[in-house]
Amino acid sequence: MNAPSSSRQQAIRSLIERFIAERLATKLEGLADDDPKRATLLAQYAPDVWLEDAARRAGQIQAVTHTLKAIHPDAKGTNLYCLPNSLPQHALVGSHCLGDDFAGDVVGNAAALDVYKLLKLEHDGQTLLDLLLAADADAIAALHTDDEQARSLAPAFTGITRARDGLASHTHGKQLYWLVGDDPRNDEHYHLLAPLYASSLAHRVYQAIQADRFGEPAKEARQARRDKQFHPGVIHEYPDLAVQKLGGTKPQNISQLNSERRGNNYLLASLPPSWQPRDVRLPIRTRDGSIFPAFGKRPAVAELVRSLRDFLLSGPPANVHTRNSRDELLTELIDELLLYAVELWAFEPGWSAKPECNLNRAEQLWLDFRRAEHDAIFASEWRRMEWLTEVRERFANWLNARLVSKLSVGDVENSYWVKKAGGNALWLDLDWLNRAWVEQFEREQRDLEAEHE
Amino acid sequence: MSELPSSNGLLIVPHLRVQNANAISSPLTWGFPAISAFIGLMQAVERRLEGRFALMFDSVGVVCHSHDAQVTGGYQRALRLTRNPVNERGETAAIVEEGRIHLDITLIFGVSGYSEDGQPDPVQGDWQKRRTIAAEIANLLGSMRIAGGSVFLDPQHQPVLEPLAQGEERSKQFRRLRRRWLPGFALVSRDDLLQNHLQQLRGENASADLLDAWLDLSRLNLRVQEARPASESQPAKVEWRAQRVVPNGWLVPIPVGYGALGPLQAAGCVANARDGQTPLRFVESLYSIGQWLSPHRLRDVDDLLWYASAAPEAGLYRCHNLYSQTLCTDDME
Repeated sequence: MNAPSSSRQQAIRSLIERFIAERLATKLEGLADDDPKRATLLAQYAPDVWLEDAARRAGQIQAVTHTLKAIHPDAKGTNLYCLPNSLPQHALVGSHCLGDDFAGDVVGNAAALDVYKLLKLEHDGQTLLDLLLAADADAIAALHTDDEQARSLAPAFTGITRARDGLASHTHGKQLYWLVGDDPRNDEHYHLLAPLYASSLAHRVYQAIQADRFGEPAKEARQARRDKQFHPGVIHEYPDLAVQKLGGTKPQNISQLNSERRGNNYLLASLPPSWQPRDVRLPIRTRDGSIFPAFGKRPAVAELVRSLRDFLLSGPPANVHTRNSRDELLTELIDELLLYAVELWAFEPGWSAKPECNLNRAEQLWLDFRRAEHDAIFASEWRRMEWLTEVRERFANWLNARLVSKLSVGDVENSYWVKKAGGNALWLDLDWLNRAWVEQFEREQRDLEAEHE
Repeated sequence: MSELPSSNGLLIVPHLRVQNANAISSPLTWGFPAISAFIGLMQAVERRLEGRFALMFDSVGVVCHSHDAQVTGGYQRALRLTRNPVNERGETAAIVEEGRIHLDITLIFGVSGYSEDGQPDPVQGDWQKRRTIAAEIANLLGSMRIAGGSVFLDPQHQPVLEPLAQGEERSKQFRRLRRRWLPGFALVSRDDLLQNHLQQLRGENASADLLDAWLDLSRLNLRVQEARPASESQPAKVEWRAQRVVPNGWLVPIPVGYGALGPLQAAGCVANARDGQTPLRFVESLYSIGQWLSPHRLRDVDDLLWYASAAPEAGLYRCHNLYSQTLCTDDME
């Protein structure tokens, strides 16, 4: 072929020959010197013989980005090779996000996977497959000493990126109807959607999570955290991460990338927060005769209080965003309180009348309000609604105490919020606390009153 | 199509118990059925009703009161599997790991009633008629499956069909309704955070993409905070803390629909399609960020409702929820 590039052709050829020689070496390993298999193997792994066989076996595999078998191992049908950049660039997460840098997958006969490994050999940053697809003369010539033979081998190899003839889904594959018109009762207003498993996308997610869990920098950061030491890194944790096994004990039957992932498919959790009624106890014997000490121990509440403290301490500028973030945290805290109340409302009413109940009257009126149905004095007190003001104050005092007690004296002195409050012992501005409280909580209570009567 | 269909009524089916629903909502997520499963349920209900009531189903909202995922393990969850029957040749069937979850949910459908054949709009009908319609539809739901799970109605909770109030009455009505959904969590879309977070990440790393933003929002990122330098008397004090994009917002990765992987195939062209009359398209799941919110945090029923759209020429089939759009309007005010 072209004289100037014959050295390049040589380089590619030796790349291929090295690859074949390495495979031969593994096969020969452990065989006795006089084993008759040796001769057979040596003949099989003569480069021209092996390449010809590989070209034949290339038909048994397909390069893909989207697979069907990952959805069900018995499903047989269309798998697709979609370059991420060729897909529509939606404003959502999908394979199109991968750009040029993605791992291709292979499906088909696992016994022919070595052919794919051959095609993934890199010369100057380009894979043999890329070169052959671009009809690179040196790469083609490297396939065989005979030009004609070489040219006939090339299409067999590049064929692995082509979709197989005849599109097919499968009864084990997923297919769902999506309304594309406006009448759900009209069969003609639907498209059938057949989702495939985005293997290249899943692979990048897998690699990211593996690195976050087991990578060297992650390990160092975790160690630093255990030792309570400083470390500039970040620890990424994926709460409730689940692992789904694809392909059982034979992940290679699903695809090459699935095999590289050892059949592990990571699933990120969309779980809702948990609310477990069995965690709630009636506030009969309470500390200080109030629910607030116990309320503050609820994990969600403790975290919110900590976040609120951290946020205020971080010295945010006095602007609308700061107010919004602060109010958001406070609103969540009030949500937690309302949630707590609703949980207690689920109990049989009248529990607060037990002699051993040491809960203060205002909180009794709030949390056991249905007792009013059978207790006239209780009912009249409830209607005066004075308890509402008292509960509000108790909440404010509790929150302030919690925030202040967690701070060192210096923190309090340096806090912007203290300066703003003008030396007020309560470093949280009670005004805004009350405003938010009135809006979120009192309104709900009044609605409840209206419904109750 | 990107506008919430306006409804004149709400059909609320409280406390549906769903047993063994499919917890794997996509190839990358688990823990709650995909919102498209509820949209599909809504369309199936409308089809099964065969026009029995002059009622169109526009949108659906979900509040989850409790859930019980069939998983084992702590830090990394494994799916609790079922032993499946052997196939027709007596061989062990291929194992497909299926995650299952039991749910207690309230479904809120945005519906549009209309007058037909001289009959008044059922949504505006009297209290008893509306209750009968609601009960009948709830019973129908009880005979269906939600994300593959069996449905049980809770006789203690009555389904209701209510006309949507207007003006000031509307927010009063919604406050009353949403309190009934406590304790629970409603799923809303946070597409906005995905985009905002990408911009933020790009500030640090120009090559960051949407997938990076999505993963970053799906996890906890722990960094050293409040490191007090070591002094002669005290060693350094170091605290590792999780930082969140939305303070305490319960953000989760969710599948929201499908993107096309190629052209639409004419009906009958693809072997083994579910039917020969519907055009078929190969697609992949598309993902966004959702947020679980206490119903208290919702300001209007529109915050809660999801609807589906299709843009076949753009290759996009997705579900929408406009919670974050009203957030933006609030900010501008």
